[in-house]
Amino acid sequence: MRSNTVILWVLAVFCLVVGAIYTVWNLIDPEYGRVEWAGTVTLTLTAVLAAFLAFYLELVQRKQGGTLPEDSLTADIDDGDPEIGHFSPWSWWPLMLGGSAAVVFLGLAGNFWLSIIGVVFLVVSVVGWTYEYYRGNFGR
Amino acid sequence: MNYATRAPKINRPNTVAVGTIVWLGSEVMFFAGLFAIYFTLRSVAPELWEHNTALLNVPFALVNTTILVLSSVTCQFGVFAAERLQARSTGPKPSQWGMVEWFFLTYTLGAMFVAGQIWEYATLVSEGVTIASDAYGSAFYLTTGFHGLHVAGGLIAFLLVIGRAFAVKNFGHKEATSAIVVSYYWHFVDVVWIGLFLVIYFLQ
Repeated sequence: MRSNTVILWVLAVFCLVVGAIYTVWNLIDPEYGRVEWAGTVTLTLTAVLAAFLAFYLELVQRKQGGTLPEDSLTADIDDGDPEIGHFSPWSWWPLMLGGSAAVVFLGLAGNFWLSIIGVVFLVVSVVGWTYEYYRGNFGR
Repeated sequence: MNYATRAPKINRPNTVAVGTIVWLGSEVMFFAGLFAIYFTLRSVAPELWEHNTALLNVPFALVNTTILVLSSVTCQFGVFAAERLQARSTGPKPSQWGMVEWFFLTYTLGAMFVAGQIWEYATLVSEGVTIASDAYGSAFYLTTGFHGLHVAGGLIAFLLVIGRAFAVKNFGHKEATSAIVVSYYWHFVDVVWIGLFLVIYFLQ
């Protein structure tokens, strides 16, 4: 994780520098002579993207109080085998959510009444997915 | 017997939280595209900006911005309650509130922001600024509109998280995690709005 943070900081600085060069180059170009906003904004915000991730990973790193087994040369395989979280083995809900979103956008492109029907399915899928492990056998 | 030294006990990064942050990184780039559209159109058609920005109601937008920023504050108090694993209030005082009460307050403030924006849109449309009127209208409604859709999505997310708190008998770390990642999203959308406000209303 340490190396992830370093790489992202390097990327942030790189994009910032390139963004500055891009802006200045456009300004001094005798044929253009003004800021080209699409490139300047995108390069600067790419720097923000990398810095944002680096900053967050650094916070996580500080909070974890030690080196992750995958970062440690002396760790055993089973040191890196804790409970990582809850992962659904399978679910129909993502498929249904994707299908309902497709119906909504089909309605936007064609006839709007189709979107209204699609939104109903969309609501059912979102609620179904969010609460899949909160009801029935999984209620707690 | 020869054993390797055990790795020290560590708190593994929460995969849901890190994943949410990575996704928010991609959202940065989504809004980067919208900002790029806005600035590019502004640089090629300054006369449209001169004409249309005069119609903006800056004091109203400032009040609306304040409401959204306050909603981020109340959202964070909800997160503090979720981190104490306290779903519901233990008394009427805000210091005794649980996550559910804070998130309902946040929802109300967020809904006020969206309602304010709809009112602003209606006013601007009545003054002739529509998404199809000119490049300024397109840029204005695309940037603020996509942001508004994000706020509306966040409102739905708040309701789903509140629903999870009601669905379980014991509010645990899994529920707290969903509250925390929704707050990440909400703060992100708030920061994007501050950027949009500075660009559209302040910088004009």
